[in-house]
Amino acid sequence: MTKMRSNRLKIVFMVCLAIVTIGGQHFESKVAQLLQDETEHIKCFVERKDLTCFWEERNHLHHQYTFTYSYENKNKMACAVSSLLAGNKTIFFCKLPKTPFFTTLDVQVLRDGRMLYTRSLNAENFLFLDPPQNLTVMSSGKEGQLNVSWLPPPLKYMDDSMIYEVRYAAEGSNMGKVEVVKVSTMLVLLGLQSDTRYTVWARVKPDGVAYKGYWSAWTEPVFGVTPPSDVDPLIVLLVLFIGLILCLLSLTVILSHHKFLLKKLWPDIPTPEHKFPGLFTVYKGDFKEWMSQNNGSMWGRSAHVYTEELPSPLEVLSEVSLTSHGMSQREEEEEKESERSDSGLTDRWRDPPHAHWLMEQLRALQENPESRCQSSLLQSHDTYVTLNQGDNEQQVYDVFEETLPLQTLFTTAGTSSLSTSHSDLGSLQQSLGSGRLSSRSSFEYPNHTWPHKGPGYAYMAVADSGVSMDYSPMSSSRIAELGRHRMYTNDYKNEICPHKWPLSGQHIKSGSESCTGPVW
Amino acid sequence: MFYIKLVYWTCPGLSSPLRPICDLRVLDHFIKEAWDAEAALRACKDACSTATNFTVPLTRVDFDVWEAMNIEEQAQEVQSGIHVLNEAISSLQASNQTDVLQSHIDASISNIASIRQVLRSLSIPEYVPPTSGGEDKEMQKVSSISELFQVHINFLRGKVRLLLANAPVCHQGVS
Repeated sequence: MTKMRSNRLKIVFMVCLAIVTIGGQHFESKVAQLLQDETEHIKCFVERKDLTCFWEERNHLHHQYTFTYSYENKNKMACAVSSLLAGNKTIFFCKLPKTPFFTTLDVQVLRDGRMLYTRSLNAENFLFLDPPQNLTVMSSGKEGQLNVSWLPPPLKYMDDSMIYEVRYAAEGSNMGKVEVVKVSTMLVLLGLQSDTRYTVWARVKPDGVAYKGYWSAWTEPVFGVTPPSDVDPLIVLLVLFIGLILCLLSLTVILSHHKFLLKKLWPDIPTPEHKFPGLFTVYKGDFKEWMSQNNGSMWGRSAHVYTEELPSPLEVLSEVSLTSHGMSQREEEEEKESERSDSGLTDRWRDPPHAHWLMEQLRALQENPESRCQSSLLQSHDTYVTLNQGDNEQQVYDVFEETLPLQTLFTTAGTSSLSTSHSDLGSLQQSLGSGRLSSRSSFEYPNHTWPHKGPGYAYMAVADSGVSMDYSPMSSSRIAELGRHRMYTNDYKNEICPHKWPLSGQHIKSGSESCTGPVW
Repeated sequence: MFYIKLVYWTCPGLSSPLRPICDLRVLDHFIKEAWDAEAALRACKDACSTATNFTVPLTRVDFDVWEAMNIEEQAQEVQSGIHVLNEAISSLQASNQTDVLQSHIDASISNIASIRQVLRSLSIPEYVPPTSGGEDKEMQKVSSISELFQVHINFLRGKVRLLLANAPVCHQGVS
């Protein structure tokens, strides 16, 4: 029995000590806070419904302190003074039990019987509450939300006069937010990050209407985790539906403009089929047959149909006969007829007027080469090459473009003769000249002998198709051999020899050692 | 909206019963205006002094004592105090005061009238003057206008608010 009684007493003592300790922790923290914030000498606050007043003094002074109080100027009453050591200072305090509210309280501190401090106050204006109890943070199940709740101060008649502050921050973040709540003891935190751990604190204070006071201390931190982001199925459906509509719209646009897009991405390879109707379909590509069948229709074509740049014939004329260019009247009439019959074609594709004259000249040369060689000098309106040997005064035209009239001089010593003519397209007419031509120039020339005149001039009509000819600049050594002003664009060998030129159409081999002359 | 309701209820001749005004925010509004008046008059302590004394109610509240009183006793104490305050503040209207003080006096008189209507809506018994002819025990004397308005604010946020917060009509149906 005695042991049981002593054990009970020990338990009660421990509980009381715990209560006192807890209260002491809150009391000391409140005292510490008021020592910083309150400027009055006598600092007072109301815990629950009891008013506590305290002041601080230095330790080395040992005095007798007396605390008295009175309500509404009635009789003064004394209060028992207690003390707490705080470093090098001592805290003296007095707790007034069952302090009346809504009335004026006068307090005085006497030291050794002398008035030290005095103050008048209303107790309901100095509420210093404990932090809210039971702070709880729970997930509401909704994305970015947390439910926070707590208990109000256990004060009758005052719970509807409180204001709360809730502070929250993501774990590890220094930036926090504060929410103010009036009267209510719960709060829903919105706009939080998903799947994040948050720390929450709370504190309380009277709202200042019926009661006034200080902010309580912050509660101990409480943690809560927001739920992970959840994709709303309705949103998924809407996104899919909108995506489907966009796909259909884009498909419609693409199909309506597919021709344009195909033309841009895969342009058609141009073919001349449309210019030659029926050539590939009816005549299987037989151009000759197609031409023979379509001669009549082709005459009506405009000259602008053929926009390609046709090769300009290169004609090398001979100086042998200057009067040869004057065609006979018969030849002119024949040429005119041929012009009329070929009016449907472009001028480039028909034989030039002087082609017949050249043929005649060649035949004449063949019959009488000596008479022709001296006087034949072809003139035409096409580009031609003149071979001028040894004459420095002669002007050499450097023609680099096939479309320009090509003038080439083969100068020889003591001679000065320059003649230009336009080459005859398609004309493999060989003009008069002395010397042999290289195999690179495909043409035909009468088999006759050119008389020398000095070395004389050699003119040669060469068809410059622009493709078959080998155009390459002549080397400087070759140019030096021919003279300073000689610049040839065509790689062409022309050996001027005082012997017959074969007119059988045989290709002349180049590089003959028996002949000398300009070599391109 | 609240003021419209109060005007409707204060109009005489209305036969419809008053709906109980249990929301303490109504009284809190009057208390805030009483705070403004007390703060304004605290500054003119000397300029606002008067030669006569005012009879004003006691404002002290001992929670243990208050809880021991029944509703009728609490109502009687509140109604008598409001009556006395109204007489004391109304007596200031006759004297020459500044415009600022006059506006606070007028607002306080109006608010007291509204509070009476609120008490009526809560079925709080009306004030009955003592028949003995002696002074009320719960009264005191003040000598300045600033003290008068200090009593005014303390009485409203003390006894009046405690009475309204615990009005039986507002707690009907709550276990």
